[in-house]
Amino acid sequence: MGLIKNIGNAVKNEVRDYLLKIVEAEKEAPKRPEAENVQKPAETETEQPKPKAEEMPVVKEEKVQPEHTEEIEEVAEKPRRKEIYPIANDLEFVRCSYKKNQDLITIPKELAELIKMLPLEEYACFVKLYCFVLDQKKNYGYWGSTLKRRIGLDYLTTSEFEELGNNLMAYGLLLIEKLTENQKTFVLYVPFDEEIMVKLSTAKQPAKQPEKPKKKSEKPVQGIRKEVKKEAESTPQHEEDIPGKHVEGMEDDEMYKSYKTFVSLEIDKAKMRVGRANFDKIYMEAVKYIDKKYGFKVLSDSDKFKEYLTNYYISAFDIPTFENWKKSKG
Amino acid sequence: MLNDIKILMKSLSDIDVRIMLCKSAFEWELLAKKYNALRDEIEAFCASGLPADVQEALEKTRAYLVEKKGELPPLDLSDFFK
Repeated sequence: MGLIKNIGNAVKNEVRDYLLKIVEAEKEAPKRPEAENVQKPAETETEQPKPKAEEMPVVKEEKVQPEHTEEIEEVAEKPRRKEIYPIANDLEFVRCSYKKNQDLITIPKELAELIKMLPLEEYACFVKLYCFVLDQKKNYGYWGSTLKRRIGLDYLTTSEFEELGNNLMAYGLLLIEKLTENQKTFVLYVPFDEEIMVKLSTAKQPAKQPEKPKKKSEKPVQGIRKEVKKEAESTPQHEEDIPGKHVEGMEDDEMYKSYKTFVSLEIDKAKMRVGRANFDKIYMEAVKYIDKKYGFKVLSDSDKFKEYLTNYYISAFDIPTFENWKKSKG
Repeated sequence: MLNDIKILMKSLSDIDVRIMLCKSAFEWELLAKKYNALRDEIEAFCASGLPADVQEALEKTRAYLVEKKGELPPLDLSDFFK
């Protein structure tokens, strides 16, 4: 028994010394230069486990890095490989507002026939957008995280939501326009009905949009770099097709129309941000200001009043002026 | 002349009453037009200069109109952005 105890104690001591050495070596490791680490294994046999322990993570990192890049490549390639063919071509995207609040959410048969061909996720997203559009009484608005939250898709990541939007765009039922680097607007396709809607403007649909997924699916095997080069080559054409995008030779009228839409959306956004009560107060201040500065004749002239009121909102809500907005797009 | 100005002032006080009952932008616009027409009429009538009380009454009605416009729901600008 005594012999076993002694052997046990000796083993314990050995293990304790060994562990202490490893701990000390780990503490000193960051301070030492790499050259020393390379020399150490040759100096003593007892310190051999230390370099092994240091080498391990390096080897692991080397192995992990390529795996990650492969994963990233896979993730980046997934949507590219997806083949999406438009459900309907040449649909007219009309920005419209509903005359009244709808008591029932009814989907026109023509639209129901189209959306029944959508995959489940895109179908759900479209229906959610459709309900939202009826609720806000207009089929356009800002595309982003606020919209994602308001249509109950908060659990999706931004990229997933973007993908859904892009897919719906590829199916030809949604139009997403880039206003600035960070701002996008959407126009949801709804069949125009004169009885319940008022036509505001027609949104321009990118002509090459339906071909986009086809092109991508044709060459799924090629590397990302080649695809990126191809996209870079094709971007000038797409940029020309994006409505609201500054293009040389674009008429000022077109620009001004885009700007008007932008201002309208910004005012709606500000209205939501400040709340109804505060917005009413701002409106009251605007009325008093316009009367004081421009006179009662302006106040009683509906068209002039709208013009001055818009200017007041632009100033009050820090909305960029036409010139600044144009510069920001250029 | 006194009777004429009294009739005009009566029209002005009618507008004051209607302003209190006004509930829509459309009604307001009609009242504003009436006010402008009445003001022009009074100014034409008193070409030599507005009496102080008439001037005061006109300014008071104008202030009511401005206040009422601010109290009405904010003007819908969607037509303007078409």
